Amino acid sequence: MKYSNYKISIYRSVTLVLILTMVGMGNFSCKKIDDVQSTRLATEESNWKTLEDARANLLSVYGLMRSATVSDNTHWLMGDLRQGDFQITNRADLKSIVTGQLNAQYPVINRITNWRRFYAVINAASLFIERSKQIIPLDSRYTTINNNVDIAQVRILRAFAYFYMVRIWGDVPLLTSSHDGDFVQLPRTAKEKVLQFATTELLAAAQVVPFKYGGDDPILPGLYYGAGWASWNGNIFTRLSAYIILAHIAAWQGNYLDAATYSKFVLDNYTKSNGSGSNGIVYLDMDALTENVNYYSPFAFKRATVLVGFPFEAGNGLSTANGHIEQLTLASPFIPKTQPEMFVPKDSILKIFTDPGDLRFSINPLTGLYRTNYFYNFPSEQPIFNKIKVIYTAQTSGNLTLFSSTMLFSRIEEITLLRAEACAVLGQRDEAISALNKAANLRGTVTYDPASGKDLVDAIFEERRRELMGEGWRWYDIVRYNRLKNATGTFIRKNGVPLTFTQFERAGGIYWPVSQDVINANPSVTQNPYWQ
Amino acid sequence: MVKIYTSICFALFLSVFGFQSSYANEALIKRINSNYFAFQQDTSKSKKDLSANAVKTDTIGQMIRALQKFKTVRDTVNIRSSAPVPNLSLQQIIKGNLAGVYVQEPNGEPGTEQSIIIQGTSGLLFNKKDIYALQPAIYLNGVPLVADNPFAFDVQKYDYNRIGPATNLLSQVDINNIQSITVIKDPFELAKLGPNAANGAIYITTKNAKAGLRDISLNSYFGYVTAPQVNTVNGVYENNFRSQFYKKYNPTGSPASYLRDSTNVAYFGPSNWTDLYYQNTPTFSADLGITGGTDRANFRFFGSGTKNAGNADDTGLDRYNLFFGINMAPFKWLTVSSTVNTARLDRTRNKSLRDRFAETRYIPDLSSPLSPNAESYATYLTQNDRNVDNNRSTVLNGNLTLSAKVNKFVISTTGLFNYNEGIRDYFIPSTLLAGISYISNYFGYSQRVSINNNISYKYDINKNHVIDFELGQSLQGDTYKYNYARAYNGPNDYVKLTFVDGNPTKDGADNPDYLNVLANGNFYVFRYIDKERNNLMSFYGSAKYAYKNLFTLSALLRRDGASNGQPDSRWVTTPAFNANWNLKQQFLKDNKAIDALHLSAGWGRTLRIFQDDRFAAGPQYRSENGWEEEPTIPGYGGLLGINRPYNSGFIGYNISLPYADRTSVTLDASFLNSRVNAAVTVYNRDDKNSVIGLPVAVETGYSTQYKSGMDINNKGIELLVNGAVLQQRDGLNWNTGLNLSYNKNKLSALPDGLNELIYQNDNKLQVGKSVGSYWLYTNQGIYNSDAEVPAGRTFNGIPLKAGDPKWVDYNNDNRIDSKDKVLTGDRLPKFVGGWNNTIAYKNFDLNFNFIFAAGQKAINQYEATRYGFVNREAGNDINSVKEVSSWQSFDNEKNYPIYNPWSPVDAYRTDQDLFLESASYVKLRSVTLGYDFSKTGLFKKAGGKIRRAYLYATALNVFTLTDFSGVDPELINYNGIYDGANITIPRTFVLGFKLDL
Repeated sequence: MKYSNYKISIYRSVTLVLILTMVGMGNFSCKKIDDVQSTRLATEESNWKTLEDARANLLSVYGLMRSATVSDNTHWLMGDLRQGDFQITNRADLKSIVTGQLNAQYPVINRITNWRRFYAVINAASLFIERSKQIIPLDSRYTTINNNVDIAQVRILRAFAYFYMVRIWGDVPLLTSSHDGDFVQLPRTAKEKVLQFATTELLAAAQVVPFKYGGDDPILPGLYYGAGWASWNGNIFTRLSAYIILAHIAAWQGNYLDAATYSKFVLDNYTKSNGSGSNGIVYLDMDALTENVNYYSPFAFKRATVLVGFPFEAGNGLSTANGHIEQLTLASPFIPKTQPEMFVPKDSILKIFTDPGDLRFSINPLTGLYRTNYFYNFPSEQPIFNKIKVIYTAQTSGNLTLFSSTMLFSRIEEITLLRAEACAVLGQRDEAISALNKAANLRGTVTYDPASGKDLVDAIFEERRRELMGEGWRWYDIVRYNRLKNATGTFIRKNGVPLTFTQFERAGGIYWPVSQDVINANPSVTQNPYWQ
Repeated sequence: MVKIYTSICFALFLSVFGFQSSYANEALIKRINSNYFAFQQDTSKSKKDLSANAVKTDTIGQMIRALQKFKTVRDTVNIRSSAPVPNLSLQQIIKGNLAGVYVQEPNGEPGTEQSIIIQGTSGLLFNKKDIYALQPAIYLNGVPLVADNPFAFDVQKYDYNRIGPATNLLSQVDINNIQSITVIKDPFELAKLGPNAANGAIYITTKNAKAGLRDISLNSYFGYVTAPQVNTVNGVYENNFRSQFYKKYNPTGSPASYLRDSTNVAYFGPSNWTDLYYQNTPTFSADLGITGGTDRANFRFFGSGTKNAGNADDTGLDRYNLFFGINMAPFKWLTVSSTVNTARLDRTRNKSLRDRFAETRYIPDLSSPLSPNAESYATYLTQNDRNVDNNRSTVLNGNLTLSAKVNKFVISTTGLFNYNEGIRDYFIPSTLLAGISYISNYFGYSQRVSINNNISYKYDINKNHVIDFELGQSLQGDTYKYNYARAYNGPNDYVKLTFVDGNPTKDGADNPDYLNVLANGNFYVFRYIDKERNNLMSFYGSAKYAYKNLFTLSALLRRDGASNGQPDSRWVTTPAFNANWNLKQQFLKDNKAIDALHLSAGWGRTLRIFQDDRFAAGPQYRSENGWEEEPTIPGYGGLLGINRPYNSGFIGYNISLPYADRTSVTLDASFLNSRVNAAVTVYNRDDKNSVIGLPVAVETGYSTQYKSGMDINNKGIELLVNGAVLQQRDGLNWNTGLNLSYNKNKLSALPDGLNELIYQNDNKLQVGKSVGSYWLYTNQGIYNSDAEVPAGRTFNGIPLKAGDPKWVDYNNDNRIDSKDKVLTGDRLPKFVGGWNNTIAYKNFDLNFNFIFAAGQKAINQYEATRYGFVNREAGNDINSVKEVSSWQSFDNEKNYPIYNPWSPVDAYRTDQDLFLESASYVKLRSVTLGYDFSKTGLFKKAGGKIRRAYLYATALNVFTLTDFSGVDPELINYNGIYDGANITIPRTFVLGFKLDL
């Protein structure tokens, strides 16, 4: 008995010690509650510490702006549809935009009229401006120069976001700091004030950003975030980008004097962005524009020819279905789809492309053959607008309907035409004609002849309509053109009442309504009176 | 706190060493038995004492013996009558059989996810993530089962199904291995279970090892799930339907391309797709359980194989379940017991277009839908034969408990583990996806490991006064992980895998292509990797005071720390109390009619922990660069970007953990020699301080900001009646059980003292209203002419015209906008319950089980898209998909006004009460007729070794009574939308036997 008792007590002790150990272990691991670090996010403690943090936060501002401009195909829905050249096959929401029923009740319209996505850019930019300085003392690789350039870029992006919004909605609330964690409700700010802010920001930033990053630019020599100019070109904003946006803001405001100056700066200096491994900026020939010619296509790949824009490179896993004009315009035989969602009708094509030598589109009167760079299957009911066709890895046709075309705001031809427009308005006819002919030089058209008696401004806007078709410009060009012409004819009918353009603009008609979701969340924002 | 506790623990344990045991079992056994004299409405109290904490099981098998007594307890599932029903999942087993528990089975496809909501919703019901957050804790032999984490929805465009196998993991247990299923709703017991059980708990105890010479059970069934009767239609029907719209509003319009050519056999030929879509499919199962051993060491083994099938689209689920349990008492004072349960679930999923496009996120040209003609449909199915769709889930869970008794102390320590793994391989040939192939691979696991320790001490002050003390501690660690890759455009349809370069080094240097897809040009690959961990640590102490047999009073105090809480608020202390008064003993000792009468009341607070680790971080940066159509844009220029969570919402500081305050009062009684037992429970639950996304001015970049402070109140009453209506020896016996519960849900507070808010643009929450309410325009017919439209009336700025709906202008401003939407209807039922009956005569018995749910409503989106065909077909998005099963008409289909479907007001929008309808139902869920041969002479002659030889036939889902105009009022998605895309719940007939040796 004694023996067994002894045995028991040994086992008992061992067991109890075991149990004790487990209890002890449990308590020591109490720290585990406090030490679980999430691998899915960065916190205020872990962000803004290193060079890589700066880069990640900076690039995100670009990413947000890209998403803001292309989500639900905003850029084309807002730029190319309203009174534009496209006709809609089936989609009722797109038809509403074409006919100007911009408050129709469709999910896509509701989403594109919600300006939150632009304010995400603005907030991220403000946050970057406020916070990125913290990195300088913490990471010696992150220099003040680097930081200044980064901040200048996000200021350009923020100004660009404001300009993009003002074109769509007119007056928009102006926020110039992040108000981090403080959800202020601000009313709309007058568009003049917003654009004034954007202009000031751009002018200041333009003095800081270089012509090239990671190259031999004296402003910022050496690699930028460890990469050369060839990998940054087309991706991020340069001094040229800043001046292009400045020129457009000025033109939109009717300040053609500044528009001429800023655009001149771009045309005078664009070669400074060339070199350092980049293929450089060139005036695009026809195939570079529409056939994805490597090194120069502004739509496929990311090339220096993208002066203001945001690429979607397939190689970076960025091909998407939505966010490209191809989703709306392409169909068989380019992609497996029976009908395009929108197309330019035959009559319009013939009306727009009148020059028999036009390489973009023309019909040879002798053979009846037509050029297919812009339109395919012209004789059919729905000619396919195939100017932009970047399918998957920059193919011009394919079964994988994920697209990689760049969201392109401006290329050298575009800014040249803007220069022509500004000079024409200012009466500098020779300058204007030379710019117009320069832009159209590679399109096979007859150059503008001042003796022809054709209105120069008309000629410039007609060339813009041809050259920039499907690049999100048409509606804004219509607005600028009508402002210049100040025509007294009926521009539009609202509920049967005819309105001249001036009346239409004064009523707020050139702007889009803002989504009810925006007003619900901030009642101090009022609906655009035209859409009330 | 922690340190103090630890030292106390140590002191206690040290003191234990000093005692020598002369422990006697009798006292405890007696007490255990005495716990069961009454019918408890919530068995949890007594059950918890016995099974949850093995503390009080003093001898092997005692727990089991005690648990067997629960069979008569009312708020458990009647296992005996459930066992012959060929249910697959836990949800199906408990549906309508537990008071206060609402089970929704929105899809008849075997193995798909189902939802359990106990005593009303504790949160919102607007998306799939919300529903995950409402699920109760499921305990299997004391192991709190870990569920799939909804964080995978972050990388999904559509939330119809979670990526991966998305198998209902609660299909893992075979009913023939289940001893009891109990719902735990009592505030005190839930407080004891802790934060896991904030939504309530369901406690499953399997049959376990026990002493005995031999106990073998063999069960099997075989049967068929049957194809439904369907009225099929073809293009003629569709054209006739659409012509009324064209005639009225668009005489020159041409119909959809596939409906133009009436000689096209594919759309205008015989509509006989049902021959290939619906099948009578066999379903069967077999299992074997062996139990045996001595008092000091015994075991149980159980193995089962089940083939469960759906009646449509070749769907099914194969389940293999193994269980092993062992109890040992190496010494009288020490018990070691362990169980391991494992299952493999292989799911054969549907081939629906919607699910496929949701997975591939790739919507090809939809202008030619699937043909209703069997010949055309057959060629489509032939293409489908080249699919790969492997869905395998493996679950493993178990526990190891050491329990030692030293004098009056009982010390136990339990290790629990649970590991679920899911794998899905998916391949679609290019012939099915407009010329490109698609591959996706998923591997994911959820893992939970925990250690629980507790010590209890029984202190007898004197004969009349007894106090039990208990101290406990537990640590639980969860890990969730998945790797997911989807790839497009493989080289051909024979390469059904994405090959990666598996060499970490190449020519002595790091391989730059390591883990990259070989022949990169052939596949376009998107990869997603995510992992999340969270830990939970708890300490508790409780005391229970008992005065004679009259009165008990319990109190509990616990402190929990959750790593998913913010650092300054992750430790929270919560109390709970319970009192129980034996009224019979007190007042009615001599009353013969009443056998038992108890009144008990409890109050308890339970902490709720966040499912997501985002809230712990405060202001944060994530990679959220995409938009609604493209939610997972990886970065910019080939580099990852991070930014504030503008899309998902701002998270600031001062987010503290939510908790639930529960009060419940139960009166239970037993009359007429226990022939009638009844219990009434009244409960009130406040789920407080929940986090909700508040709308913020979008000019800050965000549309939502998460804040603590949403309170939801649930009140209800539950009634349980069990009775032996007829009791005749050798004659007719009829036992009946009814459970009926009523729940009233109310939003009681919003953060910042808000009274109402618009939640993510589509829903509204208002204090005082149910959180399940719909936010809808009120429809009052149609404007037949422009003259009928009040002058200047607009709908969101659009002038209304003839053919537009007449919506009520509540605020009389002549503008119909979101201010004219009202909260109406409810997504969840007010009443749920079931009625279970067993009629026995001699060796025959007949069981029939009714279940019902009433008061819930649904939005019939299926009809909305049918009438709104113009917008649907023009969209070419996920809602434009027309499944083959939509080529049918329904008998009780409603007729809606013929609006102008081309109108910019979107006349057939779903946010109007036109499509809101009642989804209440009563179902005859199952009927079983059985005969027990063991009592017949035949088997008696065999030596009487057969304890039970039961032969039965069961019919499942026999009929439904409902006003609902769709196929089945259960086939409604969690958000209240009926889209008609889910497979019907089949009627099943099986024949089976149960043999106990």
